[in-house]
Amino acid sequence: MADYKAAPLASLPKTLDPNEYFNLSPEHRRAEEARAAVRANLKRQYQVQLNNPHRKELVDDPALTRWVYARANPYPHFRATKKTSLMGAMFGVFPLFFFYYVFKTDRDRKEEQIKAGTLVRKFNLTS
Amino acid sequence: MLMILTPTMMLLPMIWLSSSAHLWASVLAHSMTIALVSLSWLCLPMEAGWSSLNSFIATDPLSTPLLVLTCWLLPLMILASQNHMAKEPINRQRVYISLLTSLQIFLILAFGATEMIMFYVMFEATLIPTLIIITRWGNQTERLNAGIYFLFYTLAGSLPLLVALLVLQNSTGSLSFLTTQFSPPLQLHTEASKIWWAGCLLAFLVKMPLYGAHLWLPKAHVEAPIAGSMILAAVLLKLGGYGMMRIIIILDPLTKQLSYPFIILALWGVVMTGSICLRQTDLKSLIAYSSVSHMGLVAAGILIQTPWGFTGALILMIAHGLTSSALFCLANTNYERTHSRTMLLARGLQMVLPLLATWWFLFTLANLALPPLPNLMGELMIISSLFNWSNWTLLLTGAGTLITASYSLHMFLTTQRGPITSPVLAIEPTHTREHLLMILHLLPLLLLILKPALIWGWAL
Repeated sequence: MADYKAAPLASLPKTLDPNEYFNLSPEHRRAEEARAAVRANLKRQYQVQLNNPHRKELVDDPALTRWVYARANPYPHFRATKKTSLMGAMFGVFPLFFFYYVFKTDRDRKEEQIKAGTLVRKFNLTS
Repeated sequence: MLMILTPTMMLLPMIWLSSSAHLWASVLAHSMTIALVSLSWLCLPMEAGWSSLNSFIATDPLSTPLLVLTCWLLPLMILASQNHMAKEPINRQRVYISLLTSLQIFLILAFGATEMIMFYVMFEATLIPTLIIITRWGNQTERLNAGIYFLFYTLAGSLPLLVALLVLQNSTGSLSFLTTQFSPPLQLHTEASKIWWAGCLLAFLVKMPLYGAHLWLPKAHVEAPIAGSMILAAVLLKLGGYGMMRIIIILDPLTKQLSYPFIILALWGVVMTGSICLRQTDLKSLIAYSSVSHMGLVAAGILIQTPWGFTGALILMIAHGLTSSALFCLANTNYERTHSRTMLLARGLQMVLPLLATWWFLFTLANLALPPLPNLMGELMIISSLFNWSNWTLLLTGAGTLITASYSLHMFLTTQRGPITSPVLAIEPTHTREHLLMILHLLPLLLLILKPALIWGWAL
C-alpha cells in the first residue's frame, strides 16, 4: 500500500501520506492510490506531448473539444419545457406579429395621410 | 463582356496544361489580369442603362459592381488557397482551381444575363462547384451535412422560381431584363398571383438568406475551405440580392401588401443573428452569422423599393462582400496555424502577430460600419430609408447597429487582445502572401470611399 512514492512530475498528495492520515481505512487508501495513479498517468501523457520537440500541432484538450461540440450542437438535447416554449414564443413568434401590427398600422396611417395630402414632410430628402 | 469571359474560359486549359511548378503563379497572374481588365467596366457610360449589350449578356449599373467584385475575388481566392492545397497531389490542385474558375464563369454569366431563364440556370449552376468544394475539401465530418443543407435549401427555394418564370413567359411572352421596366403592369388580382409573387421571391430570400431560412449559411460557411467561404460570403449571397432587385420591378403592386412578413423577418433577423453572434465559440460561425445580419438589412432595403433602399442595398452588398471575405481570410490564418476554429484557443494575437492585428482591426471596424467606409454608407442609406418607410423600424435597426458593434468588438478583443494562450506561442509568422491578400481586400474598400458612385447602381 505504501509503495506509491512521489515522482518528479507527480508529488505525493497529502491524502496518501501515511504520516498525515493514520486513521483512514485501507480501502479508502487503496481507492485514493488508484485515483492518484490515473491522474499521474494523465499528467505524464500531457508532459510527454508538451515537451515533444517534434510536435507541430496543439496539445489536444478533450475537455475543450467536448465543450465546443456541446456549444455547437444543442439541438439533440432540446426538450420542450415551459421555459423553452416561453423563450421560443417570446423571441421567435411574438415579435413577428407585434412588429407586423406596429408597421402595418403606422404605414396605413401614413398612406392615408399621403393620399389625403396632409403628410408634413419636414425633411425633404429623397427617400 | 467577351473580353472578360473568354480569358476566364481559357483559364481552364491553362490550369490543366501548366507545369506543376508554375501552376499557382500563372493562374494567379492570369486571374489578376482578368480582374484588372474587368475594372474597365466601371468606366463605361452607365447613365443610359445597359452597356456591352448583345442579345444574351450585358452590364448595367446594377450588375457592374457585382461583376467587378466577382472578377476581383478569383485571384484573392487563389492566393488564399495556396497554402492549404500545397500538400495535395497536383491533379487535385488542378481540379480545385478548375472548380473555382467554373464558378467564376457561371457567376459572370449570371450577373451579366439579360434573360431571366439564363439567370436562373446560372444561379442553379453555381450550386454545383460550390457543393463539390464544400463536401470534398472541407475539414470536418460535418461538411456532408453542410453540403446537404446548402444544396437542398437553395434548390427547394428555387424550384418555385422556375415555375413562376415559366408562368411569366407564358403570359407575357418575354423574360428579358431589357424590357421588364417598360412592359405594361401585370394583372395580379387573383389569389394565385400571390402565390406566384411568393414563388418569384422565395429563391432569392433563401439565398440571401432571410432570417427564417438561414440555417444553411452557418453550416456551409463554417465547413467550406477558405476559397469556398470567400466566394460564398462575398458573391453567392449577393446573387440573391441581385435577383431580388431585378425581379421586384415586375412584382408591383402586390409587393406593397405582401412584403410585410419578409421585411419583419429580415429586420428581426438582424437583431437575432447579431445576438447569436455574441455567444458563438467558433470564429467562422461568428462571421457567418454576421453575414446573415448584414444581408437582413439588404433584404429589408430591397423590399421597401425606394431609391435609397436600392442604393444602400447595393453598396452594402459590395462593401460586405469585401469585408466578410477578408474576415474569413483572417480566420483562416488562425486556422492554418492552430487547426482549430475555437475563438478562445488563440487569444492575444496582437502581441505575436502585430501587423496581422492591424488588418484584424481595420476589418473589424469595417464590419461595424465605421465611417467613411462604404459599409457605413450602405447601412446608413438603408436605415434612413427604412425610417422614412416607418419610423418604428429604427428600434430594430438601431438595436442591430449596437449589437453589430458589440459582437465585432468582442471578436476583435477575444482574438487580438488579452492574455496570450499557449497555442499561440509557437505559431509561424505571417507570410507576405497573407499580407498581400489583406491589402487586396482593403484597397478597393478604401478607394470606394472616394467614389461610391461606382457602386451605387441606377437608383440614385
